Amino acid sequence: MSIKTESVSLSFGNKSILKDITLEVKPKEILSIIGPNGAGKTTLLNMITGNLSDHSGEVYYDSRSLNTISIQERAYIRSVMSQFQNIAFDYSVMDIIQMGWLDHKFNMISSDLENYQNDVIEECDLQSLVDQKFNTLSGGEQRRVHFARTLLQLWQPPNANDQNYLLLDEPFSNLDMVHKLSMMRSIKKRATAGTGILMILHDLNLAYSFSDRIIILKKGSIVKEGDVQEMLNEDLLSKAYETNIMIDQDPINIRYY
Amino acid sequence: MQALKDASNQIRTYFNFISHKQSFILCCLILVSLIFVVLAITLGSYGLSIFEFIKGNTTAIQNTVLIEIRLPRVILSALVGASLGISGAALQGLFRNPLADPGLIGVSAGAALGATLIIVLGGDLFDQYSLGIYLIPLAAVAGASLVIFMLYLMTRGFGYEGVTYMLLVGIAINAIAGVGIGILTYISTDAELRSLTFWTMGSFGGVTWPLLTPVIVMILISIMIMVPFSRQLDLLQLGEQEAYRLGIDVQRLKYTIIITCAAAVGASVALSGMIGFVGLVVPHLTRLIGGVNHNFVLPGSAIMGAAIMIIADLIARIIVQPAELPIGLITSAIGSPFFLWLIFRIKRL
Repeated sequence: MSIKTESVSLSFGNKSILKDITLEVKPKEILSIIGPNGAGKTTLLNMITGNLSDHSGEVYYDSRSLNTISIQERAYIRSVMSQFQNIAFDYSVMDIIQMGWLDHKFNMISSDLENYQNDVIEECDLQSLVDQKFNTLSGGEQRRVHFARTLLQLWQPPNANDQNYLLLDEPFSNLDMVHKLSMMRSIKKRATAGTGILMILHDLNLAYSFSDRIIILKKGSIVKEGDVQEMLNEDLLSKAYETNIMIDQDPINIRYY
Repeated sequence: MQALKDASNQIRTYFNFISHKQSFILCCLILVSLIFVVLAITLGSYGLSIFEFIKGNTTAIQNTVLIEIRLPRVILSALVGASLGISGAALQGLFRNPLADPGLIGVSAGAALGATLIIVLGGDLFDQYSLGIYLIPLAAVAGASLVIFMLYLMTRGFGYEGVTYMLLVGIAINAIAGVGIGILTYISTDAELRSLTFWTMGSFGGVTWPLLTPVIVMILISIMIMVPFSRQLDLLQLGEQEAYRLGIDVQRLKYTIIITCAAAVGASVALSGMIGFVGLVVPHLTRLIGGVNHNFVLPGSAIMGAAIMIIADLIARIIVQPAELPIGLITSAIGSPFFLWLIFRIKRL
């Protein structure tokens, strides 16, 4: 049970974007991918979700090759949150959140799903916003709405217990501190409940304080993969980002800088 | 009132994600269009009463006017309105662009060019085959599909930012089709010319049942195929990438919308000519009164389009009795100021 890529490579023309990437997103684990701009992090995510398919190597969802899984079923297995563009029409916040209801759930719109939806709205602190127009919200608020939608996509009927995964591209951008923390808590909660989590992060601090495993990606290749303590290495980070990075510990909050 | 409420509950069981208010609005729209249908059949340069007809108190000539002239005309105007309305709504959803309209972006012009080609160059085919009359709608559909497909190829990857780009491409396509129609007009004979002129203005006159029947079938089938894709069009507003991640086969969605819109617009253009702005105004009015989700906007635009077109045609017929105004003149007169208003509104967004 895991989402796995096996020696995946991708190139556009002569330019090689990703080289021989092998990684595994395991249940109950938070895996973060960090690396400088242009390292291929978002491209890697697009490949794992199946948006990009013209790559060599294989992607597996729970040991099944991605090619053999229907587009609809993929949506039940993994829920994705990425960077967003404008929306042309005036959808309400509730409309956007409910876009996370997948088709198979129409037949079982149960009190359970509605309770879950209410929980998610509360969790993302959106109670006062649900009736507003999505386009009038600030960037951070829009992010939270999309996060709520992504969480709703993970919902399963009470008796089902399928393995699922949450893939997040820069989930914390534009968020204030309070909401950053509460979103972190939500993600942790899903991981504890069994969901496998993959995050792309720019903020090293966040990555180190709250992942189980970390992958450093540079110029399309994995520089190193390991658990947090193993990856907390000045030389390694300095080399990856081509600048001097100092690691220091804040004695009170145990934060790394 | 109770009956209306029951009906709106009925609608809610068919369409997921449609609010009580929205289904109520849909019912009201249906009711209003039915009233308009009765009005449009009754009024005109030849006075008729539909109630007298039902009672059987009408003369043979009145029956002929009603069944052979008035009724097909009202049905055609309703269908053309419905198909332009729903195609406008679906194309706006597909292109994620509030300014998409079959007329503005050149789809109608493409259809007209296809139809003109058949009239002028395929004149012989008409006489030889009894199926010849269906060639015009088919050619119109082919022209419309070609234009939508080209537009999609040229504006892909622009998303919401492609609003202006798409309009510019539309202007170019309109111009190209105009050139084509112009050349064809030049080389056409007198008889052909007469049937050509009405494409530039649009008219519901002169329609007969044999011409109308295939168009009814085509438009109704297109609408029935389109409406179940409403939810997918909603999700598409998040972007193609996101829609795919939510389990939608985006390719299939695109082709379905392109082909059904082309069929609906092509079929209506083949019989009524180019009628502008309906596909733009109707979906926006529908959104304005009820909300933006496509489960409501698609059926709502179809019904409202039908109602508006019946009324527009009625005005065209009775305002200068016994002559009539070109229908395209009326829709453009109403639509173009609305279009300007929309442009300024979008600029502010």
